[in-house]
Amino acid sequence: MSHEVPEEVITVDVPGHPPSSPVPPSNPWLGRERLAGFSLVAFGLFALWAGSDLPFMTEGGVGSGLLPRALAIIIMLLGVAQIIVTWNEVPESTGTWPVRDMLPVLIGVFLFAFTIRGYDFGAFSVPVLGMSVATPLSIIFAGAAAKDVRFGELLIFAAILTAVCIGLFRFALGLSLPVAPWLIGY
Amino acid sequence: MDLLSNLALGFGVASSLANLAFCLIGVLLGTLIGVLPGIGATATIAMLLPITFQLEPVSSLIMLAGIYYGAQYGGSTTAILINMPGESSSAVTAIDGYQMARKGRAGTALATAALGSFFAGSVATFLVAIFAPPLTTIALKFGAAEYFSLMVMGLVMSVALAHGSVLKALAMVVLGLLLGMVGTDVYTGAPRFTMGMNQFADGLNFVAVAVGVFGIAEILRNLEDEHDRQVMTKNITRLFPNREEFRQMVGPVLRGTGIGSVLGILPGGGAILASFASYTIEKKVSKNPGEFGKGALAGVAGPESANNAGAQTSFIPLLTLGIPANPVMALMIGAMIIQGIVPGPNVVTEQPALFWGIIASMWIGNLMLVVLNLPLIGLWVKLLTVPYYVLFPIIMAMCSIGVYSVNSNPYDLFAVAFFGLLGYIMSKLRCEPAPLLLGFVLGPLLEENLRRAMILSRGDPTTFVTRPISATLLLMSLAILVLVFLPQIRKRRDEVFTESDA
Repeated sequence: MSHEVPEEVITVDVPGHPPSSPVPPSNPWLGRERLAGFSLVAFGLFALWAGSDLPFMTEGGVGSGLLPRALAIIIMLLGVAQIIVTWNEVPESTGTWPVRDMLPVLIGVFLFAFTIRGYDFGAFSVPVLGMSVATPLSIIFAGAAAKDVRFGELLIFAAILTAVCIGLFRFALGLSLPVAPWLIGY
Repeated sequence: MDLLSNLALGFGVASSLANLAFCLIGVLLGTLIGVLPGIGATATIAMLLPITFQLEPVSSLIMLAGIYYGAQYGGSTTAILINMPGESSSAVTAIDGYQMARKGRAGTALATAALGSFFAGSVATFLVAIFAPPLTTIALKFGAAEYFSLMVMGLVMSVALAHGSVLKALAMVVLGLLLGMVGTDVYTGAPRFTMGMNQFADGLNFVAVAVGVFGIAEILRNLEDEHDRQVMTKNITRLFPNREEFRQMVGPVLRGTGIGSVLGILPGGGAILASFASYTIEKKVSKNPGEFGKGALAGVAGPESANNAGAQTSFIPLLTLGIPANPVMALMIGAMIIQGIVPGPNVVTEQPALFWGIIASMWIGNLMLVVLNLPLIGLWVKLLTVPYYVLFPIIMAMCSIGVYSVNSNPYDLFAVAFFGLLGYIMSKLRCEPAPLLLGFVLGPLLEENLRRAMILSRGDPTTFVTRPISATLLLMSLAILVLVFLPQIRKRRDEVFTESDA
């Protein structure tokens, strides 16, 4: 039993993770390991401050503040240890931060959040636009930022996916997500 | 015999038409996302959790489990064909599998991976069936103090088995525990870390955290790299191995199954570690180790069996103790809780149909994968041609809809964006997200058991060291921690992991 598959040429568009050679940071304080340590310390301090009003112990035993405070202190200690242990290492840069590529994805998520069932910003409010608007809006917004985007394909995929999602979530699963209240009433 | 009647019950449940269908959907979806490199099993299961709320508990868990082990299969397909492991556990397969493909033996490599996985999956499923019930009887004797110590050990193990820096993995566990504290304190009703926002009174949405850290962060990471268009020629002929190749497979498959079954039980990415360990061992026992890296059959058969066996046995701690061995199992706990099932030793006695149904479905699912995947390889490879600029907006939109449909709470989506960014920053600082998610899931359970144990002992903290089981577990955790910090062990551990970067 054997399957014969004809020889074919396949063009694959996949994100690769090329092994990056270590690059020194512009400032040794911005090296990856040291930065990780400081982030941990900062996080621990923040947690200590945010949880400072919680009681440590109560009559019944452990209070709501004991574990959060203990964890905050542990995470700070780990951060300090991280800084000390990696002190003599040659600092490595964290690489480039592709803010231009990242922002559209994050904003896309927010766009969906604001439009699916509307949002009140105080000064103005977004009406309930439903899945028929929220889904393609966030897809196109995020996709448009890609370097090699072809708009035609993106629009087609956005339309197909919107239809699939509405069919799946609203009709097959019966979730009460709004589809297009401004057009068809639900 | 008990085991047989239990298995019969399980197969009865799993072979109902609806459950077969959900199993099929699960393994197909799993293969699909295993093939696509931009998205992993964790993110997919997180995204699909909301969909499963509408299903029967057993159907939803069967489907989610199918996605998990289906992804292991799919990941190895792309690892072999285009040297692009779709899942991290198939990274090892890519080393020799891709070399085999380059030598025109892609078909053999794929079949070896599939058959090895199937054998390992069957054996491991059987092991789950044998070992789960006795373990639950032990677990039923556990009190709050024992559970606390067990979770501490689970978290410590996940640190020990994490990739890279031990210190940072430990910090990630603690960070996860802290994030798990957000919300209303169950004992006193006091809001904690909610920053005055009522929307976070119920705590951070678990689905939102998982989707952010694994789904969105992965997109951000992929966008960073330039997209390479690679043109390659694939010639898939003769799929079935010949007699000689079968003979070569037997040893590695058996060893891989054994290693995978044992390591899968351990917390912290058992399947990944299993495939690395199996590769190292195959290289050691091989008569001609020089073949490795140049297309050795054993280098595919061993790791593939190991990662699939590990994927199956990682269900043991979940089903018996209610403790997740890896992020995917953590999501399964989430799914069970949402369905109203309390994960833990009571599942076997209270929900035998569910318990044995899931186990039986794993075997059925593995069979489906072998039967379906080999003929469908052409289709999977075609799917790889979908460009990433189309793929990532779709993943993002599915993440948004999935998370939003859980509670219809826009704040959950803000959390997705926040945790996406956090996950990305973590990867920039080389911190692993898996320990964080485990900490996040176990945090509330850990605290509850700590406080319950303290109440039971009337505020005496020595209860954790005077109860023998609890003391043993804590001692073992301490021993593991000391071991991983010992420089010599750390060096060896690095060696095992650098193998994968070859």
